[in-house]
Amino acid sequence: MVPAIIETEPTSSTDNASTPEFDIVSTYRRLLHEDPELTMPVAAIESLVEALSASSASTISETLDLLNKSTAKLKAAIPNPISLSAGTDLFQRYLITTLNRPAAGPGNFDAIRNHLLNNGRLFVERAKESREKIASFGRHFVRDGATVLTNGGSRVVGALLRSAAEASGGRSSTRFRVIYVISHPSSSSPHGQETSVRESRGDAIVKMLRHKGVPVATIPESAVAYALGKIDMVIVGAEGVVENGGIISRLGTYQIGMLAKAARKPFYVVAESHKFVRLYPLSQYDLPIDQKVIEFEVEGDGKLDKAEKKEVLADVDEGVVMGVDDEGKTVNAEEYKGNGLDDAVDFTPPDLISGIITESGVLTPSAVSEELIKIWF
Amino acid sequence: MHIPSTEPPDPPNPKPTTTHTNGASANPPATAPPETPQLSGAELKKRAKAEKAAKRAAEKAAKPSAPAQQPQQKDGRQKSKESKAPAVQQVNGEAGRGAGAQQQHHKRTGSVNAASLAQRPALGATKRRPSQGGPVKEVEKKKVESKQREVALFGHLYGQPRRHSIEGAAKEVHPAVLALGLQMSSYVVCGSNARCVAMLLAFKSVIESYTTPPGTSLARHLTSHHLSPQIDYLRSCRPLSISMGNAIRWLKDLIVKIDPSVPENEAKSDLTSSIDTFIRERITAADVMIAEIASSKIVDGDVVLTYAKSSIVEKTLRQAQKQGKRFRVVVVDSKPLFEGRQLARSLAAAGFTVQYSLITAAAHAVKDATKVFVGAHAMMSNGRLYSRVGTAVVAMLAHERDLPVIVCCESVKFTERVALDSIVNNEVAPSEELLSEGKVLPGGGLGREKDMSKWREKDNLQLLNIMFDVTPAEYIKMVVTEHGCLPPSSVPVVHRIFSETV
Repeated sequence: MVPAIIETEPTSSTDNASTPEFDIVSTYRRLLHEDPELTMPVAAIESLVEALSASSASTISETLDLLNKSTAKLKAAIPNPISLSAGTDLFQRYLITTLNRPAAGPGNFDAIRNHLLNNGRLFVERAKESREKIASFGRHFVRDGATVLTNGGSRVVGALLRSAAEASGGRSSTRFRVIYVISHPSSSSPHGQETSVRESRGDAIVKMLRHKGVPVATIPESAVAYALGKIDMVIVGAEGVVENGGIISRLGTYQIGMLAKAARKPFYVVAESHKFVRLYPLSQYDLPIDQKVIEFEVEGDGKLDKAEKKEVLADVDEGVVMGVDDEGKTVNAEEYKGNGLDDAVDFTPPDLISGIITESGVLTPSAVSEELIKIWF
Repeated sequence: MHIPSTEPPDPPNPKPTTTHTNGASANPPATAPPETPQLSGAELKKRAKAEKAAKRAAEKAAKPSAPAQQPQQKDGRQKSKESKAPAVQQVNGEAGRGAGAQQQHHKRTGSVNAASLAQRPALGATKRRPSQGGPVKEVEKKKVESKQREVALFGHLYGQPRRHSIEGAAKEVHPAVLALGLQMSSYVVCGSNARCVAMLLAFKSVIESYTTPPGTSLARHLTSHHLSPQIDYLRSCRPLSISMGNAIRWLKDLIVKIDPSVPENEAKSDLTSSIDTFIRERITAADVMIAEIASSKIVDGDVVLTYAKSSIVEKTLRQAQKQGKRFRVVVVDSKPLFEGRQLARSLAAAGFTVQYSLITAAAHAVKDATKVFVGAHAMMSNGRLYSRVGTAVVAMLAHERDLPVIVCCESVKFTERVALDSIVNNEVAPSEELLSEGKVLPGGGLGREKDMSKWREKDNLQLLNIMFDVTPAEYIKMVVTEHGCLPPSSVPVVHRIFSETV
């Protein structure tokens, strides 16, 4: 479609550089801080929508250019852009298809833009609603008398378990138990609030479930294999679902998947479909991020570069950002390592996954690529 | 696969120089064994075609050319039945044997396709069966002999021997196609991409030199009367590859859709430029994309193992080298084509560190490797890879060691068919090729070669030289196409989407 220039303001050239007063990265962080329920991809989309509305781009190519630049900026600023890129890519794709559709009528770019912004907001709304939808789908996987093993602080898993627990109040009472894998149950004492926000989110879910009368046991990661005999299924969240149907999730998920496979327990993943990313990792080390999980050391070699610290320190998981300036002062090498492991991710290959519960239904891992193809072609 | 006859067998194929690939892919009625899962559809189509051809034949009753009178089946039983049949016969032994009576019936009538009439029986006549008129008994005896040379399990694959001369080719066949056919049967043009491109280019000259006869239109005449003899000729030289089949289907579709009101010149130039676009988009540009994507999976320090030769894998490796990555290449190769030699040579010349070994040492070669890249002849709809025989072994060894097996394949090689094993569909190459190396051996090789050259005289000796095998989807980690990376399970999805749109 031919870009239609309606109003050529003198400022339009500077707009290209995504208006100096609008900072996409800080917007993104603000959004995540304001709403703890927000996930990374949705926050990214929301900040892109805001970037669009703040700019005065008046042509299509300008808009796309702005989008590209903001996306690149955002990705560069966040240490683990996997989950974020799922959102930005999706939004970009959506924009391009909308802009290519001549439906909005040529010559009126303002109308197209308004349409875009509205739809962008609608998109964000829907993404937020999807969690509840997933919970209502996934609830039925938790059967009466079941024991569920889960890990991490995934909000979707939390929502699913809550929904299952709430269902137990009604006529179809589901009684189930939860074994929650919490990596450092005691680690909250030494550093107080310094522990990963993810951990605290896990704790919050445990508290919530116990409050609803669901028996919850917390175990360390080392006890997963020991606990397997007592469980009926594993349900985990994901940071990103990749093209081959595998998932990228917090460190430790892979080993739970392997153990579950070895014990022949079903391993379900709960993820919104906006977490599907166009990525095809071949192995753990084929992820587009640099993780410092395995660090070989000899005596007297313990210090790490500051740059490396920063990389791992800033938040890697879904959405929570630790202030960038905090890192330098609060973290010493020891603590850094703990945090690094906390925020690191691993890749669980598709053959370990029994099903992926999304808001559009329960998919087998091989169907993920089909869904992605549908979006991208 | 040769049916022994009074004539000496075809000259052994010249030393292969290029890759090649192909399959029993688009094999029409003749080679489709009844066990093929999707046969029913194909059979229907075939039947319709046969009926149409029969009608046409009736109209042209006067036309059948003289040599057409050669019955060719190998089955003595059928032979006796069919020698009585007044009509011309092009039922191949294997089709007759494999197919039910009904199918055969259709074949008999259907086979009176003017084109194939002119060429196939001629081939048989000049090469195999000059004794057509001979007593049935004699033929029967020969049949029995020939059967013993065939490996029973693969019996349905032994079809028409490959054509190595232009003798008896239909008169419509364009010189460019004639030459190409011979190049294919001797592996000069080899590899499913190379063959597909060469075929399309030859068809371009066919179309350029074509004039619509009066009283008909290009859309109606070109495909059935002019293009199909060319295709039949190519098929008699070597079974068509999946990519060729897909390209032919696309071209036929394109021709049929031509508006009859379009002037002939315009239609022809449209067709030729569409062919150029097809080659550019589906093969040339696709290769660039695939090399780009696949090379991003190679990292410093990798040891990339590849089997035989694939043009895309070579491009991928070169692309990765261009990006400044430091890695080593292991080329695993096998008899009888030794396609990997060429790859190893050209990579070594380009400055790669190359290790070359034969498939007999594959288990050893896999030890060092970190990734396996292979090309494809076709990707089946059940996610299985149909590729040069030996690929499955390499993929299995790699899978055993948990190495990622990456298939580089253009979407033009995707097919809606499925393959469960390498037996139902395959291509059997002349058995003599297996022995070709004996001649290379110096010294003591001579005696052995002499022995082996008489292998046909040994009643209990059978040589099997199949060209392809099927690699199970579980062994394949990723398929790189021009549309991105896919798990093998997504092959049918992509095939469906892109055969709809293109």
